[in-house]
Amino acid sequence: MTTETISITDLRRTQPRFSGIESGHRACLGCGQALAARLVTESAGPDVMIANATGCLEVFTTPWPESAWRLPWMHSLFENAGAIASGMEAAMKAQGKHTKVIAMGGDGSTFDIGFQALSGMLERNHNVLYVCYDNEAYMNTGIQRSSSTPHAASTTTSPVGKERMGKRHLKKDIITIIAAHHVAYAATASVAYPSDLRKKVRRAMAVEGATFLQIHSPCPLGWGYNDALGIEVARLAVQTGLFPLIELERGELTGAMPLRHPTPVSAYLKMQQRFSHLFKDDPRALEELEHLQAIANHNIEIYRLRGDGIDALDSEGSDTVRRGGSRWA
Amino acid sequence: MAILNRGAFAHPSTSLQYHTGTWRVQKPVHEHRAAPCHNACPAGEDAQAYLAKIAEGRFQEAWETIVRINPLPAATGRVCHHPCEGACNRGEYDEALAIHSAERFLGDEAIKHNWPYPMPPAPLESAPAVAVVGAGPAGLSAAYHLIRRGYNVTLFDELPEAGGVLRTAIPQYRLPRDILHAEVQRLLATGMKFEPQKRLGRDFYIEDLQRDYAAVFLGIGNRHDREWSVDGVTPRGLRSGLELLEEWVALGSVPTPQSVAVVGGGNTAVDIARVLKRAGTHEVHVITHQALPGVDVPPEITMTAIAREITQAQDEGVIFHEFRGIRRLILRGEKVVGLELVHMKKVPQADGKLLTKAFEGTETVLHVEQVIPAIGQDVLPFGVEGLLENRPFFAVDHNGALAKHPGIFVGGDACGGRGTLSRAIGDGRRAAEAIDAYIQGKELPQPAPVQVVPYSQINLNYFEHAARVKTPVLPLEARKGSEEVEGGLSQTQIFAESQRCFSCGNCFACDNCWTLCPDSAVLKTTELASDGSHYVFDYDYCKGCGLCAHECPCSFIVMKEEL
Amino acid sequence: MPQMLEGSMALARAIALCRPQVVAAYPITPQTHIVENISKLVADGKLHCELVSVESEFSAASVALGAAAAGSRAYTASSSQGILLMSEVLYNIAGLRVPLVMTCANRAVGAPLSIWNDQQDSMAVRDAGWIQIYCADNQEAVDATIQAYRIAERTELPVMICVDGFVLTHTMEQIEMPSQEQVDGFLPPYCFARALNSAKPISIGTLVSPDFFSEVRHSHHQALLNAKAEIVSADEDWAKVSGRAGGGLLGVEGDPGAKVGLLSLGSVIGTLRDALNEYPEAGPAKLIKLRTFRPFPTEALLETCAGLTDLIVLERALSPGSGGIIGTEVRAAFAGVADAPRIHNFAVGLGGRDIPLNIFPRLMEAAKTASPIPFAIFDVNLEKLPESER
Repeated sequence: MTTETISITDLRRTQPRFSGIESGHRACLGCGQALAARLVTESAGPDVMIANATGCLEVFTTPWPESAWRLPWMHSLFENAGAIASGMEAAMKAQGKHTKVIAMGGDGSTFDIGFQALSGMLERNHNVLYVCYDNEAYMNTGIQRSSSTPHAASTTTSPVGKERMGKRHLKKDIITIIAAHHVAYAATASVAYPSDLRKKVRRAMAVEGATFLQIHSPCPLGWGYNDALGIEVARLAVQTGLFPLIELERGELTGAMPLRHPTPVSAYLKMQQRFSHLFKDDPRALEELEHLQAIANHNIEIYRLRGDGIDALDSEGSDTVRRGGSRWA
Repeated sequence: MAILNRGAFAHPSTSLQYHTGTWRVQKPVHEHRAAPCHNACPAGEDAQAYLAKIAEGRFQEAWETIVRINPLPAATGRVCHHPCEGACNRGEYDEALAIHSAERFLGDEAIKHNWPYPMPPAPLESAPAVAVVGAGPAGLSAAYHLIRRGYNVTLFDELPEAGGVLRTAIPQYRLPRDILHAEVQRLLATGMKFEPQKRLGRDFYIEDLQRDYAAVFLGIGNRHDREWSVDGVTPRGLRSGLELLEEWVALGSVPTPQSVAVVGGGNTAVDIARVLKRAGTHEVHVITHQALPGVDVPPEITMTAIAREITQAQDEGVIFHEFRGIRRLILRGEKVVGLELVHMKKVPQADGKLLTKAFEGTETVLHVEQVIPAIGQDVLPFGVEGLLENRPFFAVDHNGALAKHPGIFVGGDACGGRGTLSRAIGDGRRAAEAIDAYIQGKELPQPAPVQVVPYSQINLNYFEHAARVKTPVLPLEARKGSEEVEGGLSQTQIFAESQRCFSCGNCFACDNCWTLCPDSAVLKTTELASDGSHYVFDYDYCKGCGLCAHECPCSFIVMKEEL
Repeated sequence: MPQMLEGSMALARAIALCRPQVVAAYPITPQTHIVENISKLVADGKLHCELVSVESEFSAASVALGAAAAGSRAYTASSSQGILLMSEVLYNIAGLRVPLVMTCANRAVGAPLSIWNDQQDSMAVRDAGWIQIYCADNQEAVDATIQAYRIAERTELPVMICVDGFVLTHTMEQIEMPSQEQVDGFLPPYCFARALNSAKPISIGTLVSPDFFSEVRHSHHQALLNAKAEIVSADEDWAKVSGRAGGGLLGVEGDPGAKVGLLSLGSVIGTLRDALNEYPEAGPAKLIKLRTFRPFPTEALLETCAGLTDLIVLERALSPGSGGIIGTEVRAAFAGVADAPRIHNFAVGLGGRDIPLNIFPRLMEAAKTASPIPFAIFDVNLEKLPESER
């Protein structure tokens, strides 16, 4: 059989993977969140139910009467995904069903406005996987800073000027806060490392109880890079140590993707418009660059990211491809 | 018009009715481009293609891929200088693939398992006949490709057996005779009529061939040693490198003075130097005005001999004198007792051309008992005087067509140049295509310009460093006679080596595009798609972001403007 | 067999009879006794449901919404600030057309802080798109709660049962509790056609463009109007089962030939019943119980008020800067009606202020003014205010 003899519609129907999100959604070109969400649904499988906070994902997948979802899905509000998911899970329990509930939200709805509902969900240990697509600002409303926005990043509400070099505050350490709820599993992942991401989804899905996954999801528009470079940018975030890929179980660090050769943060920052002021001839720029490098170094130190030799699952080995796609198994 | 439902809910997958492909201003396309190894091969082999087959565990198909181009892989896998490996993009990353080992392995497997050459039905008796003179690499290749194109072929050679220089002048330690014999016999059995011990100009003539055959291919090599002297002086009993090499190959012995200087930088020079070492000469020097191969040495000044042969020769104790020329022979009577050497180098002139210059004040004396020139050969005009017109080589076009003599084609060493085995095999194939066009009265299609994938377009993030497989070599103390110096590799080793291939410009089904498309606009096919990949783009939904192209490890996906 | 029960206990038992599968709540006075009693029923194994003790009213409403959307009968309850905190979710539940029942134990809204009863909280969310039913006593609250599930699930509209805090929730009354068989016969198991289900996945909560939003709002408005019939039939059907009718949209008591009508809602009705008995000399009056505030029963109101010269509207909330909320709506209902009664509007019992029985003669007296009283807060003692703020 060749593709000449099968229609593309049939081919789409017979893809050897389950995808919870279909084509035709209206995400921007090269959207990291669209990719991350699809990868999550692929690993989670069809017997799930989604509670989606307000945000890009919700908007671009469901302009009525269309939906890109192939899963039972509900959007209620910006700040209640954790609670909606709790209710769904309670209903599944009451009905004796085993459908796993997944809550999804961006960094705004997770770190900020929906944090309380999330914390409650974790405390009550609902059997829910909460996935945060972290693109480090309020992108849906036009790139405003959130508590996830990295230090020194420029957004429309942390602009650069005579008195300011972008965001003054630090990126909130959400994963540690989540882990402090004593949940069985909390991890960070990146779209640049799909195998690692899927492994973490599978691990979280297997836990009977509340779990959390924070996925670094690059935003071409908000970060200001060429649409084609999203994976490249995300990969550098990991390889510099600015976005460590870690796993925390009951608050303890149980896994960290080692960095084979930590890359200087400037390689990551200079690709993005939101950090372009750090490469101007300005003494403040140099200081902020050093600050961000120090943050990366700090991450490398506290999460013990520096590998001791070549490791197939380190920052350079983890995305190795093989003929026939076997790396995705 | 849509009718509102309660609570404005939506049905699954209904987004498919919205075609985001209309947003696109550029689109990804699969574009097969040549891997550097393919582009570099004088025979025209696509190493990337057969390495891919090996990587899929399809060894026989891999061999068939080679022999559709080159019918002598067991020989070339050993003897060829392998420019493919020099061009290999992986060389810039860590180490080039051991392509020659893979080729040799497949050639040997084919002999071992008697895999049949992938031949079309035998030519009809009524099909035109073509004469091929010379059963060396060029002639064998031409004959084979002509049969594949449906012609009856008669192959003439002056010697009792086919093989040409492979048989007469390549030492056995490089190409064991049983391997050569087996491969040549299998090739002769593909349907050509072999006429041994028939010498052009003695047993038959060009005019006979022109009369009896629709076309003629000459693969008669360059058998005439060039004149060699130093300011008109030659020592007594001078013998050329080729002459001695043929003697060693035929008889297994050569005269062995205590110290010898071989003059020349080609394979013959290196071969005879190594042979002399094996035969018992204590001190063997190679004098060349060219440079020893090295990473930063430009190819135009590098010795033409195969780099790994030079290395093996050095290992065996041959002393190389690069950038050196002979200013004077030091004679006692007519007998050589030494050479006066001088530093020489090619330096650019005002017109940009390179000219070899000797540098005064750098003269040294080398004490040797014999000097052996190995500076190359010309075509022996015997029987082809009318075609050669006093030139050292035949003047042919790219396809081997001899100027002013329609229907006569020439290939291999008889055309001059560097004279490599793979070039000769490529000449035979190209000439067969040209002969076909000539007989059919068709124009030869212009070769399409070749686009090669440069190293800069390989996405290195997706490859792990991995050392090149180590080829076993005979220990120095065992390198005495004809035993093959380089060993072969196991199937496991070859398979592992094939996994190192970047697959430049050709899909290897890694799933990256399928995995990373945010719009699910890449669909995976169960079988190979028509463009050689395992994926198709669904342009109804592809927004043209370019992620797939950027993340394609082998640069098989490229973005094209769309207006 | 009537039993002496605290209002909250009776409500908790009524909820349990409806077999909710998920109950989510956050404590706030005076709702607490309801949820505490439910919790005890669960702890004692008398009610099998997922009880989710959340971290805010916002999450309480959200959990109930998530559960109902995922196919389970759900319940929540709150008061005052809690109602306002969940107000965004309340709009959302209604807009999604998800059937849900909640109790509002009515309480004043701060600041200043008051834990005592008025109805400012439920009035504040009157535009959320919920059905609102107000209860005059705890028996009505029990019966209305059971009816509410049937109404909600048939109309796919959420229903808020409003029960005055303390006045009802913390008061012991003789209450006839229905049997489980009676309730099961009246209320079929929860069935929500659009329930989320991985075997038949739909998307709830989409983005609607301006091309369709007006139609969305129209259909919601129409659904509430259409719900009137369902509210009436639920009351009638429940009366056949229990022998008690709540009054459907609107209840009428007192002298049918009276020229003066008293309209109110919630426990004020109970107070007025006593007052009418206490002061028969104040004159004949018709007592109109506005049981259903949303949807607003315009037709029933006009019919009931035919022949009245004066209609006195009493309510436990106000819209500062405008006046009475219900008074305004009642006036609007009579707009353009010939021989409409004169409408007098008072806010009463704010923040737990006692409503004295002599309110009846005083109102009857006040209604004799030359021109109707547009709005006043009953019993305001201006001497308690500085001059500038009287």
